[in-house]
Amino acid sequence: MKSVRQQIEAMRRHWPNFEVAAFGNDHALWFGALAGVELQYRIMIQFGLPDPRRMDNCQWRRFPLVRVLSPSLRPNWDAKDEAPLPHVYFENTDISLSPLCLFDPCKREWSHADLIAKTTVPWAADWLACYEGWRATGRWTGGGRHAETNSEGKE
Amino acid sequence: MRPEVNAAAAELAGEIDRQTSMDNHLDPTPLGPNAPVGELLLAETAIRIELPPSLHRLAVQRYEAVHKHIERPDSPLCDKVRIFYPQGSMAIRATILSRKRADGFDIDIIAELILSQSTTPAVVLDLLFEAINGPPGSQYHGKVERQTRCVTVYYADGMHLDITPTLLLTELDPRLSHLFHAKKEEPVSTHVRLPMNSYAFCEWVNAMSPIDLIFSEAYRRRVLALDAHNMRADADVKPVPAHASTEGGKAAKIVALQLLKRNRNLKYERRKIRLPPSVMLAKFAAETVTLGTNISQALDAISLKILEALEAAERSDALVDVRNPRCDVERFTDRWPDDRNAQRLYIGDLRLFRTQLAKLMSAGFSLAEKRDLLVEMFGVGPAQSAVDDYVTRIGHAVETGKRLVAPSGRVIPATVAASGSLASRAYSQPRGHTFFGSRWPGE
Repeated sequence: MKSVRQQIEAMRRHWPNFEVAAFGNDHALWFGALAGVELQYRIMIQFGLPDPRRMDNCQWRRFPLVRVLSPSLRPNWDAKDEAPLPHVYFENTDISLSPLCLFDPCKREWSHADLIAKTTVPWAADWLACYEGWRATGRWTGGGRHAETNSEGKE
Repeated sequence: MRPEVNAAAAELAGEIDRQTSMDNHLDPTPLGPNAPVGELLLAETAIRIELPPSLHRLAVQRYEAVHKHIERPDSPLCDKVRIFYPQGSMAIRATILSRKRADGFDIDIIAELILSQSTTPAVVLDLLFEAINGPPGSQYHGKVERQTRCVTVYYADGMHLDITPTLLLTELDPRLSHLFHAKKEEPVSTHVRLPMNSYAFCEWVNAMSPIDLIFSEAYRRRVLALDAHNMRADADVKPVPAHASTEGGKAAKIVALQLLKRNRNLKYERRKIRLPPSVMLAKFAAETVTLGTNISQALDAISLKILEALEAAERSDALVDVRNPRCDVERFTDRWPDDRNAQRLYIGDLRLFRTQLAKLMSAGFSLAEKRDLLVEMFGVGPAQSAVDDYVTRIGHAVETGKRLVAPSGRVIPATVAASGSLASRAYSQPRGHTFFGSRWPGE
């Protein structure tokens, strides 16, 4: 498992555009700019180490949670694919702040042994590139799958 | 190059550099994977409106067949064609989709005839019409139309050949000729001979449009890829220039000229008035000095040059006067602009075009916004298709993990060339992953 310090150091080295806004021994929060195509989006990454005392760690302690802050994600209810937003964990309070779904938990594509700088951030760039394409064409061309049941992916 | 044009080109170049400076200095290759998205979309749009290699071959076959037909033994012009040669866009490799038919191409040909200098304009045009139309049942009968200055041969697939008859003025200045203006419904007194030297003009344009080999090769690869995808279907003949993909290549300024012509065609589609002549645009394009590697910079510089000329005419309360640099008596603007309103209309178009171009090249706009701009500038068909292809390529690269991620986050397909030139630098190639997520409740 990578420590928070290791994550912060890797982020500083690979993504100097990102600022760590808060951190502690078991958590960190970054804000930064990321493009998928050319337009820069301001995103937030919330990360925490799992709490071994709890069985039901909140989402951001299970994997890094990425949200797009601005420009806001724009739902497209008429899109051919993935309406109203592609590959997110829908949040009812504000759909545009729904966290991005960047990997398949069933395939164990991410674990706390991975560096966010080498997985989550470039995967978010992948997502933004495909999102821009989806906005321009209504098609999601980046592949992926959806949870078949409510519990799938929640570990 | 005039200083203000230089400055404008530099300003646009600076803008593009600033917007993508984080990534771009790493890969200066023209039309390379890391070129500005606007530049890639312009190239893909241009490829979709230009005469593709397969149709170029067809145009050459048709051009040769018509020439042979005009010289057949029972033709009124048998042995009276001195030379048959491509002119206009075909000669400078700037042929684009026809203005009149969305699915066709206009191929411009000159038939230099051997006739008495006293032959009247109407007779010259009528003779060429008869020679091509032929007797009932012959190859082109009923598919030919006599126009004011040329004779048009129509093909079912939308292509048409515009064949302009000319007479050589003097043996001492080859290709300095007269063309003939004779509108059928107008009195003979309005029929005129007009001096022209299209041959020398096209040679001049080609000489002024040097090829950048790297740009040309990158453009050629894209042309051939799309053409492969879309494939459908003897006197002193000057062969039609080989298609740019097989010989010589194409200069960025000629690609820019094609796009500018397409934009003009779109603007004038519903106006039902005469449009600014292609030959005038070609002259300004040839005169503009630009980087040979960059379509957007060429577009910016050429549109500015035209705009400045038109605005200068406006300030002088005059109509723009553009002439053939190789034949000063040939006035390219003899039929346009009709009046100051016509001139102002195109000035407005060019101003809007330049604003749209700046936005297209700005990193501050999303791909969806750039798609909308591209549609407004060049029409929905080629623009949407160019964006669709771009999106498909990016998506496929992401899905298969064969992409590179720039320091800014920009994702580019990891082609062999891109991997070779970029992977060792600041670009990363993260491992693959599968997008996941919940479905929208109720789906």
